[in-house]
Amino acid sequence: MRILLVGMNHRTAPVEIRERFAVDDPLPWLQKLVATPEIEEAVLLSTCNRVELVATTRSLEAGRHRARAFFHRELGHGAALPLHRSESGFLYEHVDNDAVRHLFRVAASIDSLVVGEPQILGQVKEAYREATEGGACGPLLNRLFTSAFAAAKRVRSETQIASRPISMARVAVDLARQIFETLEDKHALLVGAGEMIEAALDALRGAGLASVAVANRTPERASELAARFGATAHGLDEMPALLAAADVVLTSIGADRPLLDAPLFESALRARRRRPIFAIDLGVPRNVDPAVNQLDDVYLYDVDDLSGVAEANAEERRRETVRAEAIVQEEVERFDGWLGALRAVPTIRRLRARAEAIRQAEIEKAAAKLRLDEAGRQGVEAITRAIVNKLLHAPVSKLREQAEREEGLAYLEAAKVLFALDDPNAPGAEADAEPEGGTGAEES
Amino acid sequence: MAIELHQLAAALYLVAALAAILGLVLPRARFGRAAPWLLGAGALAHGLAFARLHTLPNPPALTHLPSAVSLSAWLAVLVSLFLLRRARFGALTALVAPAAFVAVFFASLSLRGLGPAAPVDMGSWPHLHVIFASAGIALLGVAGLAGTLFLAEDRALKAKRARAWRSRLPSLEALDRVNAATLAMGFPVLSAGVIAGMLWTQGETGRLWVGGAHAIWSTLAWAIYAALATARFGAGWRGREAAASAAAGFAFLLFVVIGVGAMT
Repeated sequence: MRILLVGMNHRTAPVEIRERFAVDDPLPWLQKLVATPEIEEAVLLSTCNRVELVATTRSLEAGRHRARAFFHRELGHGAALPLHRSESGFLYEHVDNDAVRHLFRVAASIDSLVVGEPQILGQVKEAYREATEGGACGPLLNRLFTSAFAAAKRVRSETQIASRPISMARVAVDLARQIFETLEDKHALLVGAGEMIEAALDALRGAGLASVAVANRTPERASELAARFGATAHGLDEMPALLAAADVVLTSIGADRPLLDAPLFESALRARRRRPIFAIDLGVPRNVDPAVNQLDDVYLYDVDDLSGVAEANAEERRRETVRAEAIVQEEVERFDGWLGALRAVPTIRRLRARAEAIRQAEIEKAAAKLRLDEAGRQGVEAITRAIVNKLLHAPVSKLREQAEREEGLAYLEAAKVLFALDDPNAPGAEADAEPEGGTGAEES
Repeated sequence: MAIELHQLAAALYLVAALAAILGLVLPRARFGRAAPWLLGAGALAHGLAFARLHTLPNPPALTHLPSAVSLSAWLAVLVSLFLLRRARFGALTALVAPAAFVAVFFASLSLRGLGPAAPVDMGSWPHLHVIFASAGIALLGVAGLAGTLFLAEDRALKAKRARAWRSRLPSLEALDRVNAATLAMGFPVLSAGVIAGMLWTQGETGRLWVGGAHAIWSTLAWAIYAALATARFGAGWRGREAAASAAAGFAFLLFVVIGVGAMT
């Protein structure tokens, strides 16, 4: 059985191509796919950044052809938007080991547009769940996806690939959490009413702050914004009192000179008995005098500071990617070992069938000559079965063990030659119902 | 056996310290998770060591410096274990465990040579003095360590340095609360220790105040903490000022207990 992965992602296809293939309900597609003889099992992963089909097939060429045809002719929003043949460069294809590695990298968020983003693992799990519930998953993909989740979990817990925020909003929230134990009892003051403030309001509401006040030159605009987000609106003349009540201050207002200076913060700190203030200045030119950062209990970050932290975090994520790749490699090797052991199953089955056939034939001969009664026959059955099992135990164990390694395939070949397992006229050959290359996964 | 248990406690504190430091520096969460358990195991061995010392026919006096230092370390570890129940306080182990290791290791080296308690019957005052003073030192020690951690974090935040381990540290607000709570508990307990010491002195000499280096320096340390408590709870000191004063106050207290104690 071969593993095949065909798909497109943000690196190979622009959004106008990817959006044609977004699948809301993959189940009908999957059921159609596994109903065809070329595809045994299938999982369809569809996110805003990728559409990928993971499948198993008995014949690589047939499976590959079927998977490409699936993208070319079937997937997409109706026949009106097929992926043109000339556009097939948007598709990539991975087979066996490469497909395993690719899936593990995707689940571990190494292949994501934003490396380390947490959503992809949930999306892969959802795709797998849908395929399982729809009966499109078999033993091989079950094992493959379970291993992918294990690899992703290891990457998440053993590296810092996902631990550091890299968007400005998340960096600001992360910094706030280093200053304050909880944000739920904290009050925010937003100075300005532009787009930046509007976006910040959204993010701050998500962070769970107790209250938000918006102060602006034109109170009408502040009122409009405040009404939309459940905040309170104020004029700039209320600044001293607002600052004294604010734990988090975010400014983005057009001004030639800093609007908030150190004496203003100092008097606010005195009024609030030196409870700390986290000030985020998104204004350019800056709205808060940089000297404010020299005050005890005020932590001032401007756009460059936040970008600097975000960039440092992104750099750290990139460094962590090397360690994440090493973990993925380990997990790929572990999966290969399992798959290798699976390769030994047909050979082992034939070997056992051969031994059993010989045993049965010899018992028939002996029973006729020795005129065995039922008890005697059962005794001989037990003895011969024990002998066969003991004789086969070591070679079978060795075959399983060696098959986990790539070099171990030679042992499988040697066993076939030594025991004439490929000879169709040999006793027990007819018992080998499983064609060569079958997974035999149900036995593992 | 008591000495071996002390050494076992020291070893466990050392391993806890290494696990806590690795837990901060490395992304592997298992180190950080193991550290409090190792610290707890050390505290258990340490407690058993005291229980064993207590049952000896001629137990070394608790008033001897190594015993008192060991007791302080044990109580500080217990306070830290209580705090560790709160999330993100794991970083405190990285400071408490090494300090406990140093205190218990050197105490265990000195315990072997200690004689039994003085035969003069002074009642409960010597023990009360040591127990209250040790508990006070333990609480103020945790305040000092929390203050040190606060200063390090405050500096990193002000310098705008991005460090992955910083998100595994307690927040400044939480450290400030620990600082306030341990000072609020530590100062009255230390005061009780000072009073018990004066009553012990009175029992021995008939006077509450006899002077001497230990008495003078201890009173000075108590006066410093009185000033700190007043500043914190009266004048509303908090944050960096409170952290710096807690760290400096504890350094001075250590000098008084160990430095002056060893000289006298």
